[in-house]
Amino acid sequence: MIEVRAVTKTYGKKKNIFTALDDVSFTIPDGASVAIIGKSGSGKSTLMHVMSGLDRPESGEIMIDGENILTFKQKRVDVFRSEKMAFIFQSFFVQGNESCYNNVGLPLEIARVPMRHRKTRIEKALDAVGLLEKKKQRARDLSGGQKQRLAIARAIVNKPTILFADEPTGNLDSVTGASVEKLLFDYNKKNNTTLIVVTHDIDLAKRCDMQVYIKDGKVVRVLGGAQ
Amino acid sequence: MKRIDIMRRAGRNLQQAKGRTFLTSLAIAVGAFTLTLSLAAGQGAREYADNLLKNNIDPQALFIVKDKAITSAGAGDGIREYTDDLSSTTAGSGASVAVKMLTKDDIAKLQARTDIKEVVPIYSLSSRYVAFQGIDKKYAVSLNYYDSSILSDVAAGSLPKLGEQISSNEILVPEDYLETLGVTAEQLVGKTVVVTVPQVTATPTQEDITNAFVSGGDKAVQELFAPKTKNFSFTVRAVLKKSAMAITSNPQLHVSTTAAGEMFDYASKGTENADKYLGATAIAKHDPAVTKTTLEKDHGYSVQTAKDAQGLLFTFVNILQGIVAGFATLALIASVFGIINTQYISVLERTSQIGLMKALGMRRRDIGKLFRYEAAWIGFLGGALGVGLALILGWLMNPWITKQLDLGGQTLLIFVWWQVAILILSLVVIAIIAGWLPARKAARLDPIEALRTE
Repeated sequence: MIEVRAVTKTYGKKKNIFTALDDVSFTIPDGASVAIIGKSGSGKSTLMHVMSGLDRPESGEIMIDGENILTFKQKRVDVFRSEKMAFIFQSFFVQGNESCYNNVGLPLEIARVPMRHRKTRIEKALDAVGLLEKKKQRARDLSGGQKQRLAIARAIVNKPTILFADEPTGNLDSVTGASVEKLLFDYNKKNNTTLIVVTHDIDLAKRCDMQVYIKDGKVVRVLGGAQ
Repeated sequence: MKRIDIMRRAGRNLQQAKGRTFLTSLAIAVGAFTLTLSLAAGQGAREYADNLLKNNIDPQALFIVKDKAITSAGAGDGIREYTDDLSSTTAGSGASVAVKMLTKDDIAKLQARTDIKEVVPIYSLSSRYVAFQGIDKKYAVSLNYYDSSILSDVAAGSLPKLGEQISSNEILVPEDYLETLGVTAEQLVGKTVVVTVPQVTATPTQEDITNAFVSGGDKAVQELFAPKTKNFSFTVRAVLKKSAMAITSNPQLHVSTTAAGEMFDYASKGTENADKYLGATAIAKHDPAVTKTTLEKDHGYSVQTAKDAQGLLFTFVNILQGIVAGFATLALIASVFGIINTQYISVLERTSQIGLMKALGMRRRDIGKLFRYEAAWIGFLGGALGVGLALILGWLMNPWITKQLDLGGQTLLIFVWWQVAILILSLVVIAIIAGWLPARKAARLDPIEALRTE
């Protein structure tokens, strides 16, 4: 369970102060799929960064399985992220120069998974997104949809409990976008992994169990979930 | 992240930017190449000098002079107080300088000591001419006395055991003379050689002339003014081979020290140089350095050991090596900026990658390491490349250099594996230091900012 409690995040100082998140609170049950919906500049990306411990808010708590990750030291946050969380971005952020295999291997290396366990897990993840036969190819030679599928393989290889997806279909056409969506939701259902999708796409948001509407840093509406 | 994983990623990152990696490491390679060669040349020169000295100077040998000015640099320069024991001798430049000489008394004192043996004064020998048996012409040659501490090769004849002198009626002829003389080495052995030694005549006083006139008339006076010479007769014992290890390239006739003493005594008789010697050589029975100190303390002599002579040669080699190494270091410093530059660009190019790695939970320290290892790889590649090229060049050039410089089997470029290893290792360290700033920049990148760039 993820509880966001009264999180406030501001940028700038005094006169130029900008409140990106203003007293945001909501709760996500385990294994749910959640959409954080808002226009660009609404604070939805900042919310994702705060929830994943990448960014630190001025006040509030992020309780994950009963622990406030905002009280963790940097090292523990890093370890926590490498073991429990995964990310998918709008612009993929796959390493073009590296092979697909090594792209997917990165989270395992960061999480210090022993070398002998890596191969099967990487191949399993690549197989799950249908890229096993491309494992030796460089990521830059893949198409946009394939790159995002590679990013999904990289996200699921270390069996995260929370999967963040920041506009996962934003750079894809509708057909490939649909296949990426299907992969994400299937994985969410099959593995009971909490899926948090940040998007402005209402159709995508509607496929989620829960929707958090955010506007000017404030939660304006929460649909579904544990209320 | 595990060290091995970071190193492999660093290696792959470099592989993917082959051109840039190669060019950056090439800059280091230039410095490494020059440093390796200068190290190798220095080593070779030192070993050559060492061999040269070992073949020419007994490690126990001492060179004793009365006047420090002889062994110190700049002898004869400037002004000094006159004392009665100053004698004139010829400095290297040909100018005549006044120095204190060892006297017969000094030699006797040295010979009486128990910590040294074989005290031989330095005789400066000169001959008017030399005649070889069976050859009509007379020849001008330079003369020296046989150093029993050096083993020489013979072309014909034989030499006594190491440390034993030849007899006073024997002479050794260098191989170089054979061509001029027109005989073979075998023909020359056993032949008689007559050395004619001139006596420096002191200008007769009025009294001498009067006495001579009274006793022998005109003829006696003429005789008084005529240059006097004496013939010393020897038998050729052996013909000496030329050695690449010989310090003097000047081929000389060698006589025994006894004969040399007689010749010198005759030649200098009646002059101010009689019974005076520039210096003396001796063999220390124990530690030469200790003997040196005692001699200097007891008699006030200036003493040089074989080690001192070696030190002098080594200083020269070291200075030359230092100059080359200095330039190589400059090249290395320039290449350090190359690494900094390349790595900075690399950090900028890979901003989003760094952001992603941080988002995935990679620690600051590990990101810094990743970039430092990349720099280390560049340093290693550059070092290996430069050293490799130097080794190949050394291997190709050594025979040629040896031939050109006539080193006689001695190679000039000697690579010492541990020097090369230390060089490569220190290049890696230098590269890591150079990569420090860019690595720090990468480690400090804000992941959120980094993920915003595409």
